[in-house]
Amino acid sequence: MKLPTRIILGLFCLLVAVWLVAPTFVVVPMSFNEKKSLAFPPDGFSWQWYQNFFTNPEWSASLVSSLKVAAVTAVFATIIGTLAAFGLDRMKSRTSGVLRALLITPMVVPGVVLAVGIYAVYLDTHLVGTMTGFVLAHTMLAVPFVIIAVSASLEVFDKRLETAATSLGASRLTAFRTVTLPLIAPGILSGLLFAFVTSFDEIIVALFITSPYLKTLPVQIFSSITRDADPTVAAVGTILFITTSLVIGAGLIIGSRQGRR
Amino acid sequence: MRLKIGRAVGLAALLATTAALAQSKPVAGEVAEGSLKGKTLTFVSYGGIYQDGQIAALKEFIDKSGVQLLSDGPTETSKLQAQVESGNVTWDVVDTADFPPYVYCGKLFQKLDFSKIDISNIPEGQVSECSVPAMNYGVVLMYKNETYKDNPPKSWADFFDTEKFPGSRAIEGSGDFSGGFMEQALLASGQPVDNLTVADIDKAVEKIKAIGPDTIFWKTGAESQQLAESGEADMIAMWTGRAMTAVKNGAAYTPVWQDWLVVMDQLTIPMGVKDPDAAHALINAYLGKASQETLAKTTSYTPIHKDAKPEVDEITAAFMTNTPDKLKVGYQQNIKFWVANFEAANEKWSAMLAGN
Amino acid sequence: MARTGTTAMDSLANNAPAVPASERGTQRMADQPFWLVVPALVLLVGVLGVPLAIIVIRSFAEPDWGLQNYAWFFNSPVNLTVLQRTFTISAWVTLVCVACGYPYAYVMTVVGPRLRLLLILCVLVPFWVSGVVRTLAWVILLQDSGVINSILRGVGFGAVKLIRTQTGVVIGMAQVLLPFMILPLYSVMKTIDLRLMQAARSLGASPARAFVQVYMPLSLPGVYAGAIIVFILALGFYITPALLGGPRSTMLSTLIQNQVLSLLNWGRGGAMGVVLLVATFVLLAIAMPLMRQPHRRGRDA
Repeated sequence: MKLPTRIILGLFCLLVAVWLVAPTFVVVPMSFNEKKSLAFPPDGFSWQWYQNFFTNPEWSASLVSSLKVAAVTAVFATIIGTLAAFGLDRMKSRTSGVLRALLITPMVVPGVVLAVGIYAVYLDTHLVGTMTGFVLAHTMLAVPFVIIAVSASLEVFDKRLETAATSLGASRLTAFRTVTLPLIAPGILSGLLFAFVTSFDEIIVALFITSPYLKTLPVQIFSSITRDADPTVAAVGTILFITTSLVIGAGLIIGSRQGRR
Repeated sequence: MRLKIGRAVGLAALLATTAALAQSKPVAGEVAEGSLKGKTLTFVSYGGIYQDGQIAALKEFIDKSGVQLLSDGPTETSKLQAQVESGNVTWDVVDTADFPPYVYCGKLFQKLDFSKIDISNIPEGQVSECSVPAMNYGVVLMYKNETYKDNPPKSWADFFDTEKFPGSRAIEGSGDFSGGFMEQALLASGQPVDNLTVADIDKAVEKIKAIGPDTIFWKTGAESQQLAESGEADMIAMWTGRAMTAVKNGAAYTPVWQDWLVVMDQLTIPMGVKDPDAAHALINAYLGKASQETLAKTTSYTPIHKDAKPEVDEITAAFMTNTPDKLKVGYQQNIKFWVANFEAANEKWSAMLAGN
Repeated sequence: MARTGTTAMDSLANNAPAVPASERGTQRMADQPFWLVVPALVLLVGVLGVPLAIIVIRSFAEPDWGLQNYAWFFNSPVNLTVLQRTFTISAWVTLVCVACGYPYAYVMTVVGPRLRLLLILCVLVPFWVSGVVRTLAWVILLQDSGVINSILRGVGFGAVKLIRTQTGVVIGMAQVLLPFMILPLYSVMKTIDLRLMQAARSLGASPARAFVQVYMPLSLPGVYAGAIIVFILALGFYITPALLGGPRSTMLSTLIQNQVLSLLNWGRGGAMGVVLLVATFVLLAIAMPLMRQPHRRGRDA
């Protein structure tokens, strides 16, 4: 590549990168605003919104609800999704193609349409504002991500290894547990993460099926944004950002150590 | 039909006297000791500080009557509809926005028994067959000091007059129409509002469109507050609560109280509740002076008891709308008309918002 | 996390009904693999199938049986404007994503591992902050007195209207959706052998020509996959246009929500939902073959 092309391309990428991360970094200074306002640049400095997040029961309760719903969802979605990925992997190609397309439809159905439908069903079955209701809806939304992640690792997994294990006398289950599972574990783990995040960040269905007893964090953030200008929202954003960065940072470090070993 | 709230009142006074003559007449805020022991009521509202304040206002009622109070929400008419249709109503007292109790009176909400509720201290014109107000607030015209200096706007007519008062305008565009604002648009174009017809809705919409393509439609209270704090709009039609917070945060804007639009939340009792008497008792207690002062202190909303004088700071007090001077200049929309033409108005309003 | 993103997107890019590993699996069909899929199917039918069926039924059944709600939808100029606008905005978003994502993904394939990691991080960082919070951040960035306009004024440009305009909505939505463009693009591009370009050059093609005639066709499956994902997700967007947009950027989802929650009109809301749903699936049906064929060609090459 010629130099000018490289420079233009580089600058362009820089611009796109800034565009991608800008919103994230605008949130951080907002969270230290002294006034109850979202004007930018913020005035003064204070920790009060962080304090509010942890002491105001409305915020802390919604965080706890979100964590609970996301954790249960992640477990169910991972089990159901992993089973399905295995099933698909072992099927005739035509059937599995159709089934796979069917199973990932939740990803493309427009959010509001789905939410209205689920809301109608939940009103009749009294699932509005219940843990069961949230977990069912979120699991359905999260399963496709698990299927995709696990299928990806199954695709590169060499099944002759499992066959070799069984031929050496291992039972089906043992072969699965000792050979297959460890090899596709990264796929399952990323599926689990995806499922957790899908649920933790889901807002549209949640807005329809929420109640004061069970309000997830995104719903609380949304109602805070639409009701008043509360910098607590920015504090939540910052906390989420830092937590995720730490988790991912730790993951990268552990990953690179294992890589070196 | 234009009602000045402050104007002297035959009906309410009469009602109060008759009520006074009747035996065991209810007094707002009072409840008999232990009268609801072992009973459970579910109070439904919009959550947040508002609902917390409402529960705080009901504390004496809870302690004294012995009732167990659950809270639920947010109020969603569709959820209530599902409950009423299935005959399994779990919401006993519901806080709603201003139109639903009129639109669904007798369908989703029951007609209230005013021999069980003392409404003598509620500002005039706010009680309906199926509802009493839960709190008051208003839509007030706020103008930017810097833009208008010596020649500030004095009325909604000036708001619609972009020639004499150039500058950008911001109005609510969250999806729900404001009948009061549309009536002001008609008045500003010299059209009387005594006999509203469906055609008038179109005229009102035209007048609002005539402000020009630069009109800012804010969609959330936070957004309107931000418009004031950043000084982006020269005139803003905004909720009193948000106006107050913006001023507290240093927005250099001044309210024009002439014909501020009265808005309220309403308290209702759904059709088919298990214990209507207990629900009525809750509403009666809610309307008491002390309760209303607690509500105002915790939420900054205006109490709906004429004599309530909550202890609040200066700016909050300046935006309370229950003072005699403000009640005198408040503007009540023709709620009957807007309810009767709810769907048409909603459709035309959404069409305008959607850019048609 | 970086790898997670790419692996998941990999198989999306390799188009949804991915090439199954059937040849390897057929000898062990004894297990009745269908049963493994049953829990997922039950969930799908119960929590997706039934709700969608109810929407379809109600759109024909309320308040009376018939096509009234559809007649209403297609006879109302507002609905048609909004429907058209929903498509226009989604198309713009897709275009912006392709235009920005393509060079970005390309650079990701040619830089060193350190820089690549940094670029991937930039794509993933947006996911680390709640989607709703991010939309709020866009409000702050785009408003008239916001960061972007301050910069523009600082450099001597006049202020630009961004908030409450379609441009603002497109900027916000494209930022949310850009990762869905970049990841599939990258996963396709990294498989393209750059020596092909060198070969073309050595045969006398200009760099531009080599790029257009050799590289671009090979990267097309990634473009198709990313574009279709972005377009379809954009069609159903709700929160971002609701918070960033003005009246002239209302999208269909907002109208649906208004019909159902404010007006209790499930019939009309349902009809609008069905229109959106049908549009989505028709698009998918058209796009699927497009995504598949060039992909195969890509592999053969």
